[in-house]
Amino acid sequence: MATPPVPELLKTHLSKLAENDERLDGRDRFEGRDVIVETGVLARAEGSARVQMGDTIVLAGVKFQIMTPYPDRPTSGGFMTSAEVRPVCGVHWEAGPPSPEAIELGRVVDRGIRESGCIDMEDLCILPGEKAWQVILDVFALSDDGNLFDAFATAAMAALRTAIIPGERFDVGEDRPLPVSKTPMMCSYHRVGGRFVYDALRREEIGGGERIHITLGDDNHVHSLQKGLKGAFTAAEFDEIMEHARSRCAELRDLVNN
Amino acid sequence: MGGYGDVQMIDDNGIRVDGRTAGEIRPVSINAGIIPVADGSAEVIWGTNHVIAAVYGPMEAHPRKIQKQDRAVLDVRYNMAPFSTTDRIRPGFNRRSREISKVTAEALESVVLTELYPRSKIRVEIEVITAEAGTRCAGITAASVALADAGIPMTDMVISVASGKINGVVVCDLNKEEDNYGEADLPMGVCANSGELVFLQMDGDLSPEEFQIAWDYNMEAIAPVHEMMIDALKRSNGGDE
Amino acid sequence: MVGRLGVEDMSDQNARGGRDGRGTRLVTPGALLGASEGRRIGHGVVENEGQLIAVKLGALIENEDEVSILPSYTRYTPRPGDLIIGVVEAVQSNLWFLDINAPFNALLPMSLGPGKAEFGGARNVLNVGNTVLCRIQEVDETHSSVVTMKGLGLRRIDSGIVEEIPPHLMQSLFSDNNVLKSLKSSTDCRIILADNGRMWVDGDSNSMSNVISKLEQIRSMSRDFSSLDSMVEILQTEVH
Repeated sequence: MATPPVPELLKTHLSKLAENDERLDGRDRFEGRDVIVETGVLARAEGSARVQMGDTIVLAGVKFQIMTPYPDRPTSGGFMTSAEVRPVCGVHWEAGPPSPEAIELGRVVDRGIRESGCIDMEDLCILPGEKAWQVILDVFALSDDGNLFDAFATAAMAALRTAIIPGERFDVGEDRPLPVSKTPMMCSYHRVGGRFVYDALRREEIGGGERIHITLGDDNHVHSLQKGLKGAFTAAEFDEIMEHARSRCAELRDLVNN
Repeated sequence: MGGYGDVQMIDDNGIRVDGRTAGEIRPVSINAGIIPVADGSAEVIWGTNHVIAAVYGPMEAHPRKIQKQDRAVLDVRYNMAPFSTTDRIRPGFNRRSREISKVTAEALESVVLTELYPRSKIRVEIEVITAEAGTRCAGITAASVALADAGIPMTDMVISVASGKINGVVVCDLNKEEDNYGEADLPMGVCANSGELVFLQMDGDLSPEEFQIAWDYNMEAIAPVHEMMIDALKRSNGGDE
Repeated sequence: MVGRLGVEDMSDQNARGGRDGRGTRLVTPGALLGASEGRRIGHGVVENEGQLIAVKLGALIENEDEVSILPSYTRYTPRPGDLIIGVVEAVQSNLWFLDINAPFNALLPMSLGPGKAEFGGARNVLNVGNTVLCRIQEVDETHSSVVTMKGLGLRRIDSGIVEEIPPHLMQSLFSDNNVLKSLKSSTDCRIILADNGRMWVDGDSNSMSNVISKLEQIRSMSRDFSSLDSMVEILQTEVH
């Protein structure tokens, strides 16, 4: 990822805005952009979704493969996430092997889903010790105007919730929906102009500091946390954003489940 | 080409498996300006193919070794998304993609006025979201629209389509089964106004007469697709007057 | 293969807009524009074997005997004398590299820099991330430019914010001086228009947000050449 020089003027302006409780695009501090979720958008994927948040656009595709279960877990299937942030989605994303930023994106999205247990690995068993389903989630960025984390996480859940296990194509039974028992959702916060804001624009990310990603399950259980980039935050700041995350994750959950 | 002559793909009435006659292309729709952060962008939906192109630039050409002193280089990346095919594609280096990137760049360099931007590069990012035979053709077509959308000066727009042969019959615009089991594949990239070719590949077996028919089928597809490109650019650039 | 004009003529600033020279219809690259006989070739048009051909996507403009294109989308290409808002990207001991919103960076040598700086002391005067108002001194044939800060009003900018608009659009919108005047007075902001698609805005928080939101609206309409009048109206409207 090529980082352009951050103009001092931008940082100063963001601080000024923050002092007046304002943001670049007129949103409130904890206000997110409008989220558009469409499912069934990829003809070759067994589950898919497209999510648009402002000018940020991503795709998620779920595909299934048959794997040999690990010897220590003969009745378990597998789950894997791969995040592709290719040069198509922004002038600042360069060609080459996955950047640390792209890798972090994939791993953080993965953890939120995996740790929630929303996919029952035992339910993916086909033949104990011999065959099981591997669920592969590919999230793909098309346009980056900030907050790829939440866009990916939202698209991932929408795709998983509408995924169909292709038993017929692999000749191991009937097609059936992938059982997803809960809907973990992610909310990301960025320190901009001195305080944490929700759903940062790319310009806010450039002029900002550290970020925090929170994934919560249906019952507000915490399933994953990640702090990224340089900076330090207080317990009080964390409490404030966690409170927002609880209500916002619920809203996103409703959106994805309907 | 598989050349499995026993797979019946066209019946005695000349109707293909997807209902088309020999000379028909698949349904096509084109949209421009679909990637808000790019300088220019387009998507081409061609049959089940869904291909997206984004253009960034011109910008300084890095690394130094790819720079040309007197012109811009087209830095083209053709890539198939992991979920674009029935069997998932592992992300990473792919020889086929590299070859297609190269011939696509060479096709587009033939129409872009690269001499206006010495030592620069123009990035063309082609992503196949869903594949159904003819992805390289859809990619070149999408890239043409994206370059125009990005304000890059070009002497013409390139349309690309592939005709071939199935069960001994020459047909226009091969679909997936026809591409897999057919006997010949002739993709071409043609300039809309001059009719000149900037992209040409072929594999299989075509007699001189069959070759001519396939060639003509491709040429006949150029004008209708060109109209769609113009319409796509008009819709996203306020040209509806 | 095709008769071509010099590099300068393809520079986007030469695309003449203005509300009197507005376009008639949208043309795409390769569109045939008729015989070249008796007609002058303007921006975005080339001649080939007696035929005029559009090479850019944009509105066709036929003024008197000149045929040109007002592009739908432009990037900035530097010309000597242009007023520039740049951001320092890198510093060497006697040289600054500026991002000027163009394909190539500009060089600002110490000798053309602001005030007095000792050799090796460049960072004390201008550091990475600083914004400056400067002018293009010269451009070579590969579009690399040298800028200078020696000149009236050229300085480091330490307040306000810099917004971007496509260069040709900036020209069209502000070709009438009154538009900028009324924008400044209606928003109570200091505004400087640079030639590289950048605009500096300074005022109190509310006023700046006002201007920024107007520019945001205009950016979202920027590809529609028929909406030029609406864009000017947005700039001139008082917001209460």
